[in-house]
Amino acid sequence: MAPVSTLRIDGLSKRYRGRSGVQANDGISLDVAPGSVVGLLGHNGAGKTTLVNQVVGLVRPDRGTIVVDGVDAIGQPHLARRLVSIQAQANVPITGLTPRRAIELVGRIRGADRADVVRRTERLLDALDLGPWADTPAQKVSGGIARLTSFAMTAVVPGRLVVLDEPTNDVDPVRRRLLWEQIRALADDGAGLLLVTHNVREAERVVDHLVILDQGRVIAADTPAGLAAPLRGALTVEIHLLPGAAPAWPAMVRTVIAPVPGREQLRITGTVRPDDAADVVRWAQDQVEAGRIERYALTPASLEDVYIQLVGADRPVEAVEGAADETPRTPAPTLSGDRA
Amino acid sequence: MTAVRQTLLLAQWQFRRQAQFLPLLIIVQVFMAIATVIGYGLLVGHPTPEVGLYLATGAPTITLITVGLVMTPQVVAQSKTEGSFDWMRTLPVPRPAFLFSDLLVWTLLALPGMVLGVVAGALRFDISLSPAPWIVGAAVIVSVTAASVGYAMATLLPPAVATLMTQMIIFVVMLFSPVSYPADRLPTWLATAHEFLPVEPMAQLVRAGLAPDQFAVPGRSLVVLGLWCAASILGAVAALRRQS
Repeated sequence: MAPVSTLRIDGLSKRYRGRSGVQANDGISLDVAPGSVVGLLGHNGAGKTTLVNQVVGLVRPDRGTIVVDGVDAIGQPHLARRLVSIQAQANVPITGLTPRRAIELVGRIRGADRADVVRRTERLLDALDLGPWADTPAQKVSGGIARLTSFAMTAVVPGRLVVLDEPTNDVDPVRRRLLWEQIRALADDGAGLLLVTHNVREAERVVDHLVILDQGRVIAADTPAGLAAPLRGALTVEIHLLPGAAPAWPAMVRTVIAPVPGREQLRITGTVRPDDAADVVRWAQDQVEAGRIERYALTPASLEDVYIQLVGADRPVEAVEGAADETPRTPAPTLSGDRA
Repeated sequence: MTAVRQTLLLAQWQFRRQAQFLPLLIIVQVFMAIATVIGYGLLVGHPTPEVGLYLATGAPTITLITVGLVMTPQVVAQSKTEGSFDWMRTLPVPRPAFLFSDLLVWTLLALPGMVLGVVAGALRFDISLSPAPWIVGAAVIVSVTAASVGYAMATLLPPAVATLMTQMIIFVVMLFSPVSYPADRLPTWLATAHEFLPVEPMAQLVRAGLAPDQFAVPGRSLVVLGLWCAASILGAVAALRRQS
């Protein structure tokens, strides 16, 4: 007998009524196995939040089924809520409380006994290096600490399914690593994790499986390696322009992600075959010397490139870039140069 | 038992979140309760003992209705605006627990004002009250009914609209309801309307609880209030269960 999925969604569709009539979800199917981390990627408005809200019964789907650990979540949302814990995209306001108090109260509301909650809270505060802030009134903590507190509120008494919506936003690089360890630990303890994010670069190192949503539909679903396969062997060239400069791309650079028209954008990327790498470097170095570009980098193609190709680059990708800038990158063979 | 425990934990959450403003909130509540009594006295001029009795026994009803129909929906509207409302609803908590925990917190906060309002009224108008023990139960029914209506309103309406509605309701309750004066001063149509609305029965119940020798509650009022109480709780819980 196959093990019961922690979350099984089949043919889920939701259209919001009203003048705009947005088709938020359009026949989505996905599966989260116990002990696995599934990444749900997509632009703002791709339908991620609607999907999550249907799992806990805040939004009612038009069609489709949602089964959480064997429970029909649409027919019995109150039972599903016992099996699911959620970290929302926006931080839950906890002014008046301290991080420790908020985490403990949520743990007890979720039904665990006090001693157990106190112990688990202490362990999480320690694991996320929140000790110095644990007893500070919430109105005095930074956005990153609030974000981690919000994660701990979700993880203190985790459900069979844990949904995390952008858990790393605002979190500093050091604690980000600690956070990813805790996320992985939840899965290792047997929970199924659905990780909603725009942060492709970070996600690919943590997730077991990726589902890419666009305009309410699943446009790709595979392991990170499987998704990146079509670009295997390709290189990504990334150049940072000087303001006002607009160099012409040489022909050997394919699938250029062009700047959004009408918007000043200083980073542009494209892919290159390894055979052409030397020529591209020569071209880029000439551009640097001519004062048209600030710096360039040549790296193996990443999942981020796959993602951008899949969802198209005609829409803003600010979240992808903004988040990627803070990412501690995996050391990769990089060939780069700048004006220095 | 779990549901009761969760309600108390949610109340603790709400209470602690308001903690830094607690003294101020209580002072404002006390001020409003006393101001209602004194202010109406000024409006009337030199109230007769009968009018004074009406004012003093009407003030606590106004306080209870203010808490239920104004404070509670404003807290819900605020939690919707700041984003905690939806997240709290993802917790495995029975939906009525949200209503009752908020209600518990706000009723406790209103209590000092309510008691001091009655005391201030008794002193100001020189009347002696002999509250019946069941006034406590009466206050709970009035409080629950008002808060449930307010809760349903705040859950279903956009926050800005809900806040405006509460302003209008308090205006109507304070000036156009037979709480601080007898119903025979109202135009006939409005008096008739009040026979079907919950405000007059609320006032009658509290008044009879505070001065049982002078006032009694008509059976019809009890039925009207009972229906409103049941309907408003069902409505508030349905609103909390509502899916978009």
